[in-house]
Amino acid sequence: MRDKSIIKQVSEPYKRFGYTFDSTTIRLILLRSLDKGVELDYHWVEFDDVRYHIQVSMKNPQHLLVSVSLPTPPPETVFMGGLPFGAIEAIKSAYGVLVQILDPPRDGFNLTLKLNLSKLPPDEEYKQALLVKVASVREVVLGAPLRVILKHLASRTVSSNIDQLVALVHRPKESFFLVPQVDKVTVVFPMRFNDSIDIVLATSFLQEFVEARRTAGLHNAPSCLWSSTPPLELEGAPAEALSANAGFVTFVIFPRHVEGKKLDRTVSSLSTFHAYVSYHVKCSEGFMHTRMRRRVESLIQALGRAKPDMENGKKGVQSRSFKRLSLKDGRTNSN
Amino acid sequence: MDPAASRPAVVIDNGSGYTKMGFAGNVEPCFIVPTVVAVNESFLNQSRSSSKANWLSQYNAGVMADLDFFIGEEALARSRSSSTYNLSYPIRHGQVDNWDAMERFWQHCIFNYLRCDPEDHYFLLTESPLTAPESREYTGEIMFETFNVPGLYIAVNSVLALAAGYTTSKCEMTGVVVDVGDGATHVVPVADGYVIGSSIKSIPIAGKDITLFIQRLMRERGENIPPEDSFDVARKVKETYCYTCSDIVKEFNKHDKEPSKYIKHWRGIKPKTGAPYSCDVGYERFLGPEVFFNPEIYSTEFTTPLPAVIDKCIQSAPIDTRRALYKNIVLSGGSTMFKDFHRRLQRDIKKIVDARVLASEARLGGEIKSQPVEVNVVSHPIQRFAVWFGGSVLASTPEFFAACHTKAEYEEYGASICRTNPVFKGMY
Ligand SMILES: Nc1ncnc2c1ncn2[C@@H]1O[C@H](COP(=O)(O)OP(=O)(O)OP(=O)(O)O)[C@@H](O)[C@H]1O
Ligand SMILES: [Mg+2]
Repeated sequence: MRDKSIIKQVSEPYKRFGYTFDSTTIRLILLRSLDKGVELDYHWVEFDDVRYHIQVSMKNPQHLLVSVSLPTPPPETVFMGGLPFGAIEAIKSAYGVLVQILDPPRDGFNLTLKLNLSKLPPDEEYKQALLVKVASVREVVLGAPLRVILKHLASRTVSSNIDQLVALVHRPKESFFLVPQVDKVTVVFPMRFNDSIDIVLATSFLQEFVEARRTAGLHNAPSCLWSSTPPLELEGAPAEALSANAGFVTFVIFPRHVEGKKLDRTVSSLSTFHAYVSYHVKCSEGFMHTRMRRRVESLIQALGRAKPDMENGKKGVQSRSFKRLSLKDGRTNSN
Repeated sequence: MDPAASRPAVVIDNGSGYTKMGFAGNVEPCFIVPTVVAVNESFLNQSRSSSKANWLSQYNAGVMADLDFFIGEEALARSRSSSTYNLSYPIRHGQVDNWDAMERFWQHCIFNYLRCDPEDHYFLLTESPLTAPESREYTGEIMFETFNVPGLYIAVNSVLALAAGYTTSKCEMTGVVVDVGDGATHVVPVADGYVIGSSIKSIPIAGKDITLFIQRLMRERGENIPPEDSFDVARKVKETYCYTCSDIVKEFNKHDKEPSKYIKHWRGIKPKTGAPYSCDVGYERFLGPEVFFNPEIYSTEFTTPLPAVIDKCIQSAPIDTRRALYKNIVLSGGSTMFKDFHRRLQRDIKKIVDARVLASEARLGGEIKSQPVEVNVVSHPIQRFAVWFGGSVLASTPEFFAACHTKAEYEEYGASICRTNPVFKGMY
């Protein structure tokens, strides 16, 4: 498992197939509501403990109430009125007249949006893009402070290098850190996983990820580093923030990475970075199990082929001990 | 407290035809998708045919094939539009048939549909009453090792269907579940939440067979349907236009007298040329569901009507449970959705029961009148995903979390703990 080449082979194709982080459930509910009025009262939880609630009543099927609760912020982050800074502006600029922010939000949620489907633009392409944006509401809200800081970088409106560390929440009780400067913003992600195999996989994946960017000639992409110990930038961060069992990833963002349309993409890929890594780790694990299972099965087949030569008489007894591993046989035996 | 227990559990009902998935506590699943995986095997062929093929390129091709796949509607669309994708159906007749495909399927369910972190949620999965314990171990292995779930419960789908009915009516965990899905039909008696295993009856006819039968009827009549589309059209025709009649001869007469009232039209577009076409839908509207009541019109191998199978099932159950079982016959599964299906079933079972009562009274010389047997076929609006709904209800009780096998237990005792899943309070 520590073999890097496997990780490389596993991670490579994912880059090709990509992964988006908007909510499939929200997208489906929006499509259903647009298709015909539905009565709905739906609760669910997506990765990083983001909870959603959507309510639609038959009386007013054009109006959806979308509530979101965010991951519990660690003490070092700044939240205002239950939201990260810049969130209200980010919502307004992303959705315009389509949504209205309810104050106060529903009990137990950080934010409740009232979505008016009749205000969707007629242009089909624009409409679809806006719907995807609604499904990405977590990104809009959680990514808001990041967007504010990167926007300042793009317009070069950071007055001086105060070298202040900014903590932003991205997972329950976990933050990532920014050091905004006049000509660049340094972003540091402490990476943590629960499961011991995940930690190993993630560590290899991240090293591979950094390596690939260096060698693949992605000169335009932000430079990126991995280290097992906290980088210098994190000096002064609270002690809990400095422990990360899968190391630290540092990105350096320059103004050219956030010019014009690039801003959106950079904000989105940074604010979903942990989820992106975690998805790869989980998939790699599934993939390795599939491989291991196949290996075991081919071994059993090989053993099975070898068997008759060894002892013909005891076949029945022999095969029984393999029952658990070769399921198809197991089933026909026990039914 | 385990923080995962404060989040809604993930409930996934994997059927041979459709997978129902969502979060506990909701009244309907978030997604209902066909249980199918489309795998790109062209990588494998490429490397085999290439002359420079070495083990590494073959290995890489294998990796690509392992990762380039789709599930559900998307899988069907991919396979329709390109020949590089091969479809694989991980579940056949209610049993997992291909574990690699099954694992991939779950992977997409969790990461691409539900979009949750499996480490954050307890999971409730379902299985058919005939599933072998080995299969539960395999499921446990995948769930605990690949997905790291904190807790897992594998429930028998019929028990869940009964639990679904129980919230809508009264506290009744005794009854017969008639689950007619896509690939399997099971008649399962349950007493106080426990399946009476020895009395389970299975029928080799389910939704897919009705679709095949309708496809055959339409083909034989020479309806103009492109062959590559005909199975799908038959399925849609079945789901939209079929109903259960009360008397097949009378129904033929009705259709012949007033064809305009009974004949429907199906309109489609040819997948290859894009040209529109249309066809008639006639007798198959009632002949499809009739297969359950007169199987000989479809198959020569299996000829016992469903009502007779249900009656046999109850008669084979312990005598003190029989009355309660006749009183609570619960329908579940997509193929019980035909209009008036429950009426016809109730009438036919009642007929069998009454005939038996009469016969025994006659035998006893008419001196003892036995108490009439109440036959009640329960139908409710969420029948299509009753199993999922029952799972959703049970997985939101506090007892559920205690009944789950946990990751810690799995690590200590191994996959064999998944063989049994206790019936817990809240189930009855
Ligand atoms: N409205 C309807 N009328 C008739 N049949 C329907 C209707 N809706 C769905 N079906 C059929 O029900 C079947 C699917 O039912 P269901 O989802 O219960 O099966 P499953 O759980 O996938 O399969 P199984 O339980 O056999 O493993 C399909 O054959 C589908 O065509
Ligand atoms: Mg089913």
